[in-house]
Amino acid sequence: MREKTTTLYLGPQHPGITGNMMVKLSLKGDTIVKAKTEVGYLHRAFEKLLEKRNWLQCFTVMCRFCVPEPDPMENIYARAVEEIEGREVPERAKYIRTMVLELARLQSFLLWYAGQNGSAGLYTVPQWSVGDRNYILDLFEELTGGRIYHMYTWPGGVRRDLPEGFESRVLKVMDYIEKRQEDYDRMMFDNSIFQKRAQGVGIINKEKAIEWGVVGAPLRACGVKSDIRIDEPYEIYDKLDFIVPTQEGADVWARALVRRAEFKQSISIIRQIIDKMPKGEIYNKVPNPQKWTLPKGNAYVRAEAVRGEIGMFLQSDGGNKPRRVHVRGAAYVHAVSLLEDVLVGQNVSDVSFIMNSLGTCPPEIER
Amino acid sequence: MELHKEKQLLETLQGVFQLKSGEIKRRHRIEVEVEKKDVVPLLLFVKEKLGYKHLSHISCVDWIEEGRFELIYMPWSHQEQILIMVKVSIPRDAAEMENIDMIWRQANTYQRELREMFGIEFPGFVGDYDFILEDWEDIPPMRRDFDTEAYVKDHYFERPGREDAKDVRTEIAKRSGEQIPDFAKKYSR
Repeated sequence: MREKTTTLYLGPQHPGITGNMMVKLSLKGDTIVKAKTEVGYLHRAFEKLLEKRNWLQCFTVMCRFCVPEPDPMENIYARAVEEIEGREVPERAKYIRTMVLELARLQSFLLWYAGQNGSAGLYTVPQWSVGDRNYILDLFEELTGGRIYHMYTWPGGVRRDLPEGFESRVLKVMDYIEKRQEDYDRMMFDNSIFQKRAQGVGIINKEKAIEWGVVGAPLRACGVKSDIRIDEPYEIYDKLDFIVPTQEGADVWARALVRRAEFKQSISIIRQIIDKMPKGEIYNKVPNPQKWTLPKGNAYVRAEAVRGEIGMFLQSDGGNKPRRVHVRGAAYVHAVSLLEDVLVGQNVSDVSFIMNSLGTCPPEIER
Repeated sequence: MELHKEKQLLETLQGVFQLKSGEIKRRHRIEVEVEKKDVVPLLLFVKEKLGYKHLSHISCVDWIEEGRFELIYMPWSHQEQILIMVKVSIPRDAAEMENIDMIWRQANTYQRELREMFGIEFPGFVGDYDFILEDWEDIPPMRRDFDTEAYVKDHYFERPGREDAKDVRTEIAKRSGEQIPDFAKKYSR
């Protein structure tokens, strides 16, 4: 008897899909035999828009590239501009920037907890982690005025200094979420439902992982010790003491364990930063933004986000606007060529579970 | 900061290929410019012989005044911890580049975007035509001569009441009866 193949369009509007994208699945029974990523529902032509904005106006658009973790985008833009111009950044600003990046990682981890568990049908953890994430967003609101989009890290430094007593409030939140990790462990990592859903699912070919452009936690879950913060240190990461956790399983479970370990590392990093935070200036003032030109040249800078490596290629033609801004997000590879490969042979109910573990973020693909 | 590894890599590449230019930009970064015919051999060489296994990015800049596109390939080595920026220029009016998705599989996605957004063709490359755009018939939109404003005016209509593109604050002030302060007037259109 001939086995029938069913085509299923998962997305663009689907609670399990992370953002507006679609995966066209060919199924035999419940098993995926072919997957094709279809994007184009979220294209906002940011890169074209940036060619019409001056160097300072561009900075306000940067954070909008990605909702779950906008701060690394601001950071790479600021660093790319500084690299082309040769602008120095005050030491205190570098410490604050690093703290902001790590706080952004923590809130993104908590959002990932929500997505990963929600897509497994475990709805308690999302309620908790989104609630806990609010404590970090409160800190961002106090520091920058915005909860999600901060527009805080700009070329030359940061936009304002830490408010009075801010460090102690950060430490208090760190103590709280560190304690909460025990609850997450009980509900997620000790939970046999989560273990059974995650183990042996969404396996990446370990031998090919680097060649296929896998980055971040999915690469570390293949046993490769790679982290931009260590490989190519930026801001003050070379002055901090932290490890790069790895796992060998290359499946959703291994990726979850890597992120769990990284969560703890981020808390430790923030404590170290606050401990070592120097006093001083926070901003090396840029000239009048309307007349501010950069020398002709290019830069490619990268940062480690929770989803993995993100990079920005910036080209200046010597004028007051960028000639070209090109963002490379982790999802650009993970959600297209890698996802199409990993999904083959998997059960249809695991699609959004696997997508969450790979850090799929459609705004990063389309920009 | 010592740049031994970067210097050594640049010397190796200069010894094997005829580089148009080559420089160490900073630690972890070198930039080389090559002829179009040398791009694929160079990328294969750095990947297979020097261990630059990870392709971080492929980007393109439209130098419309000079009638050329500049493609930038960026492979990275996890061992050496150096990223090579390989630059190549191709003419705008015959925008064609060799396909490299057999060297790095994910280059397929990058090339689909370059074809769609810049109109660069990759002979022999099998990849779906529509990537982000759908049924696009205009000139590729990331080219510098694509006029976004004209395209918008051609394809969309103004929201009623906004045809004159008046300053929003003037309209709000009229409705609410508030006055725009003098210092703010100079910023009004």
